Amino acid sequence: MDSLADRVARFLYLEADLMDEHRFDEWLALWNQELLYWVPCNADDIDPSRQVSLIYDDRDALENRLARLQSPAAHSQIPRSRLRRVLSNIVITDQGESRVQASSNFILAESRHHRQVIIGGKSIHTLIDHGDTLRIKEKKVLLINNDDYINNLSFIV
Amino acid sequence: MDPITKQPTLFNPEELVTEDRAHSAIYTSEEIFELEMERIFHGSWMYLGHHSEVPHPGDYQVRQIGRQSVIMVRGDDGTVRALMNRCSHRGMAVCEAEEGNTRFFRCWYHGWVYGNDGELQDVPKENGYGETFDKSEFGLKPAPWSADYRGFHFVSLRDPGISVDEYLGSAKKYIDPFLDASPLGEIEVLAGVHRTKYYGNWKFVGMDGYHPHFTHKSVLDMWSRKQGTNLGATHRGDPFADESGNLTRDMGNGHVMLDFYPGREQHYDTYLEGLLAKPGGREYLQAMEAAHGREEARRQLIWAGDPHAGIYPNMQLINIQIRIIRPISASETEILMFPALLKGVPDEINATRLRHHESFYGPAGTGAPDDAELFERNQVGLQNDVDPWIFLGRGIDRQTRDEAGDLVGLVSDEVTQRGQLKAWVKLMAKS
Repeated sequence: MDSLADRVARFLYLEADLMDEHRFDEWLALWNQELLYWVPCNADDIDPSRQVSLIYDDRDALENRLARLQSPAAHSQIPRSRLRRVLSNIVITDQGESRVQASSNFILAESRHHRQVIIGGKSIHTLIDHGDTLRIKEKKVLLINNDDYINNLSFIV
Repeated sequence: MDPITKQPTLFNPEELVTEDRAHSAIYTSEEIFELEMERIFHGSWMYLGHHSEVPHPGDYQVRQIGRQSVIMVRGDDGTVRALMNRCSHRGMAVCEAEEGNTRFFRCWYHGWVYGNDGELQDVPKENGYGETFDKSEFGLKPAPWSADYRGFHFVSLRDPGISVDEYLGSAKKYIDPFLDASPLGEIEVLAGVHRTKYYGNWKFVGMDGYHPHFTHKSVLDMWSRKQGTNLGATHRGDPFADESGNLTRDMGNGHVMLDFYPGREQHYDTYLEGLLAKPGGREYLQAMEAAHGREEARRQLIWAGDPHAGIYPNMQLINIQIRIIRPISASETEILMFPALLKGVPDEINATRLRHHESFYGPAGTGAPDDAELFERNQVGLQNDVDPWIFLGRGIDRQTRDEAGDLVGLVSDEVTQRGQLKAWVKLMAKS
């Protein structure tokens, strides 16, 4: 039996590959039915009811986002960004009954239109542990440049 | 015209913009861009910020006006000033943070200290300047022309030759709905900012009712899958159809808008039904009716706080956002989008407005990145000069004037682009 830390790491590596390769349906399948996908803007700790985020998706909004990305008219992803990210510093930060919170750092390289962009950040996943599988209930992504001018963040981080 | 290339001579603006065409050099030439910086961005009324961004004495925001750094600061006396971010001694920027609260601006080079009203308060070893030295002459220089309309603060660094009041003209009555969606008639611009950039000319950020069916096809398809989840801007139906009743409007001085009022009015009943079903919706309607009366509340809810207007050259009011356009070069532009919260409404209404904004706008929105992508393709295409003219003649034979004197066309007509370029010629021709 793998340790919880091993299972979480393997799950996050799988998620990273699915995001890098734009495998949207498989990525969505990693999520819990009720979900929050949150990328704060301007700072890491903001009040989403009073302050704007880059992404604050519930299931409906996330399904819309992924449906749009698969449209033949999603111009900002035609051609798609070429992506590859490296995950590290995976730490289990909290653990409850069938619930685990993990923090991880990433460096993401994006190449598109002859421009390469490097983005760094920290992800905080709240996962539901079903024993045989993990599902993402919440994912909060803290981009180190969330207070800077960004050209195109229409791929999945 | 140049006798060899048969191209317009740089620089005569009247040769570069005709009644229904524009020469691509106005989007690609760095020489023209330098003139735009001087004559438009340093030489005419520019939007700086909203007073609600600096609610307390000492609060400040630093903004760029063209290439110049300007501090919008509320002094201890409560007055909002626009101060040039430059020490009167050797010219250092005295404010290094983008925003904050302070009683003093200190230049860390030689220690000169200014109050938050700009007055020079302290000069180390002042006696070295002799007896004639007068501190009152060495304060931070205010932007020489500076005024606000309902808290929207405008500055000009050279003589604009016209007051803000005259400059805004008939556009003022379309700025009002942005504030009057609040029962108190007030907004709060403290919800942060989306910062985006694209590699294209600043003038592409137009006000275009012709592009959504194509540029935003992926979003319109998404909305039609789930009717009723779409933006307040559009309410119901297809707001970009010529049959929608919606209009393009040229209010003069480059101020233009997509006027969605007629289309929204037709769909008001279903809109209201949707609003009442939302958390806080009923309380919001009641607060609006109590503040404005029933008829006016209805009118403001039809506007939905969205003038969809461009205040030339650097400001737009679109849905819930105040947008600032910041040109970097002929082929690079930064955009700031400030979502405004409404004062005096239930928290859930503001939260819903933020979620609608995020779904479309910002670098991770479902709409704005596609605009940026198309602007970048536009910049590539305009490098081709075999035929260097772009065509902006849509609706030119069917535009009319309304009783206020605005030029009006159908929602897909290029009334707005022509209106902006008329102002461009006028400002650029100014010597």
